[in-house]
Amino acid sequence: MKKNNTLLQRLVIAPYSFWALLFIVVPLFFVAYYAFTDSGFHFTTENITRFFTARSSITGDDGTVREVYTYLLIFWRSLKLALISTVICLLLGYPIAYILSRASDRTQKILITLIMIPMWMNFLIRTYAWMTILQDTGILNGLLKSVGLRPLHIIGTETAVVIGMVYDYFPYMILPIYSVMAKMDIKLLEAARDLGCNSFGVLRRVIFPLSLPGVISGITMVLIPSISTFYISQKLGNGKFYLIGDAIEGQYVANNLHFAAAIAFILMIVLLVCMAFMQRYANSKAVA
Amino acid sequence: MKPAAKIYTAVILLFLFAPIVILLVFSFNASKSLSVMSGSSLYWYRELFRDAETLGAVRNTLLLAISAALISTVMGTAAAVGIHRLRSKYLRAAMDTVTNIPMINPDIITGISLMLMFVFVGRLFGAATSLNFATILIAHITFCLPYVILQVLPKLQQMDTSLPEAAMDLGCTPMRAFLKVEIPEIMPGIVTGLIMAFTLSLDDFVISYFTSGNGFETLPIRIYNMTKKTVTPKMYALSTIIFFVILALLIMSNLIDTAAPVVEKPTRERKIRTAAQKRRIRLAGAIGAVLAVSFIVVMIAGAPKKPVLNVYNWGEYISDGSEDSFNAIKGFETWYEENYGSPVEINYSTFASNEDMYAKLSSGAVSYDVVIPSDYMIARMADEGMLLPLNFDNIPNYQYIGENFRGLYYDPEDLYSVPYTYSFVGVIWDANRVDEADTGDWDLMWNSKYAGDILQFNNSRDAFATAQYKLGLDVNSADREDWNLALQELKLQQPLVKSYVMDEIYNMMESGEAAIAAYYAGDYFTMLDAEADDVDLRFYMPEQTNYFIDAMCIPSCCQNKELAEAFINYMLEEEPAIANAEYICYGCPNSLVYESEEYAEDMGEEAMEILYPDLEHFSELYNSFAYRNLSPDMLGYVNSLWEELKIN
Repeated sequence: MKKNNTLLQRLVIAPYSFWALLFIVVPLFFVAYYAFTDSGFHFTTENITRFFTARSSITGDDGTVREVYTYLLIFWRSLKLALISTVICLLLGYPIAYILSRASDRTQKILITLIMIPMWMNFLIRTYAWMTILQDTGILNGLLKSVGLRPLHIIGTETAVVIGMVYDYFPYMILPIYSVMAKMDIKLLEAARDLGCNSFGVLRRVIFPLSLPGVISGITMVLIPSISTFYISQKLGNGKFYLIGDAIEGQYVANNLHFAAAIAFILMIVLLVCMAFMQRYANSKAVA
Repeated sequence: MKPAAKIYTAVILLFLFAPIVILLVFSFNASKSLSVMSGSSLYWYRELFRDAETLGAVRNTLLLAISAALISTVMGTAAAVGIHRLRSKYLRAAMDTVTNIPMINPDIITGISLMLMFVFVGRLFGAATSLNFATILIAHITFCLPYVILQVLPKLQQMDTSLPEAAMDLGCTPMRAFLKVEIPEIMPGIVTGLIMAFTLSLDDFVISYFTSGNGFETLPIRIYNMTKKTVTPKMYALSTIIFFVILALLIMSNLIDTAAPVVEKPTRERKIRTAAQKRRIRLAGAIGAVLAVSFIVVMIAGAPKKPVLNVYNWGEYISDGSEDSFNAIKGFETWYEENYGSPVEINYSTFASNEDMYAKLSSGAVSYDVVIPSDYMIARMADEGMLLPLNFDNIPNYQYIGENFRGLYYDPEDLYSVPYTYSFVGVIWDANRVDEADTGDWDLMWNSKYAGDILQFNNSRDAFATAQYKLGLDVNSADREDWNLALQELKLQQPLVKSYVMDEIYNMMESGEAAIAAYYAGDYFTMLDAEADDVDLRFYMPEQTNYFIDAMCIPSCCQNKELAEAFINYMLEEEPAIANAEYICYGCPNSLVYESEEYAEDMGEEAMEILYPDLEHFSELYNSFAYRNLSPDMLGYVNSLWEELKIN
């Protein structure tokens, strides 16, 4: 019996293991190889050092000039915008996932489809449409003016970039949380209530810990694409936001694949470490 | 649902659908603008159905998404089951880590790393091109797999392990227990995984961009490559159609649902389905699978058997039959069959910039027969042996190329290239907001009176050039100090700049969002056609400005040189040449075009004056103001200066 199990197990996991090795692991060595070589493919750590030491001067709003570490600043800005977007997605998406999971089967199906529909329209096009809405002379300001309110300046600000990121990756937050919540046994919630928990207590002590795997994958699925995007920042940020994705693309276009690979390599390591910590946190919670 | 929940859901849906409403409305726009409505019409829908290239891209995108979603769902579900049963803690951790990699890797890295590997393997086996449909499919499956696994794995973890054990105790074989008990239990995860994989594949741009091969152009790539010209409402029309198709499917599936008895809340009882329901589900599944498989078979079997000419050009840079124009691509196919008696097919692909094109071609990942780069890139490619000398016996129409467009610096002996278009950079301004006395030179773009109304290029070479011309510096300087001065000038301008733009310029100038911008001469007319009522766009050329030429060349990876030369020759024939010149709206170096009265009439007086200002002295002006190729060292330096500007 046990033997059967392991045979089946090997059979089902074999194609994926092979695939993962060939198309996930091996290409990473190419990134590392490029990151640690110069254009003549001789070993160098110069690309990595450049990331941490390159400096440039920027002028503040008050006209003061200061020296900054170019790539560390770019990295920090990308991380900041991505984190803000992820938190907003989580705060907005969690209640929706909960409402969905408690609705009738039919409503669930309709709402899930409604949430997915916008994603089936090309994201370049959707971002374009946001430009039309958020422009100073755009639809939103037209509406505000017609009801006698002051127009808002949104396009080209951090707010616009965050709106774009939240919009584009929002469903990636809702779906994983929803799919975990839909499986949650409603009896557990009733039991908690019977044992004297108030609504907030049920949420904090029962629903949230149980939905944690979904929350973790939701966070991953929003954070990663938003940290490396360059299209949204170009279109909605009026080309004034230079993020880590722009930096990699810029180096590729300038035909400097080795430095592009180095930036990618560092980004990858940082994200891997973050995710490992998050996974550990999730596991410890699940055990508790 | 409680009222509060209802309101909240409605607000979220409003947010999700706001841009969709914009798409719907503007797809009916009578003009080309995406921000100014000028009457409603079905014009763009008719355009869409005539555009074979875009429809082909839609077909490619669907083919890819369906294949990738099906394969990754099957493989990913199996993998999740396998991972879930792993007893060894270390193996389990290793699998989890590997699975996480494509998700933690930004897509640009996944794309580049896979491309590097494919090219390496392709060279190892001596293949002419290392990228094709298989490579882009592999890439898509690779990035979809983790999403499927991450949907299925939590379901397995939540599943009561006693369920399959009970089934086996009751006499099920492990296989049967798996199929009858586990699969239904994890089905929601599998379905979500499948839908996610399909959606991700459909929407992916970056990874496809790096791993797609000759002529296999997906919709996102096609849209992205329109960035020098502009995205038209045609794409909105396409999105609108997609929207209604999905809506129809949704309503249909709901009708089927209502016919079946409504099942109670999500508890265990939900799993018990009636026999009729099971049959219906199986039937739906079978129909879906048959449709998907037959679609893929038809697509692959339907691939052309004729000789294929691979053409690589800028986005929106050939008359393709849209807007009632002559279709130069189909035109060549017909012309060739009439003259040479054998059928031929053009496989047409687009790029967004010279640098993108160079990166793809030089990696050996793709092979094209005809490319249309700009002057400085031609010089670089010729230097590096990437171009083949042309046999002008096969291109007799070269005689129509004006004297002024021969022997220019990038190809002094006219060996490698046949000029296709030329143009120059000028300043576009809104006469309703800008004082005419301030216009005339580059100073307008630094005039603090118009702070917040100025647009600057979002590509380093063109942006630096505006500063260099303003300061009277050499745009091709090998002296870093010159570039530093230009950077200081751009930094001075920065507080006045509203936005750094490429194709966004169309929307912003047409709607009056900005009042001053530098751009390529011919594109001004596109904006003029769509300007809002309170906008009055004008154009002028500063004395010193960039002149550029895009020319047809044959790269060294060409597979069929004579066919490529026949294509170049055909592009110089009167009919396609005029059609292209009218469609692209740039200047044309072909005397059959600029001497044609019909063409002059179509373009109108103002356009002729702007596009053909001083042909007598063209080569002189051109040679003094055109961009030259910069050394790799200098390119790197300019790029770092650009980064310094952009992080401010």
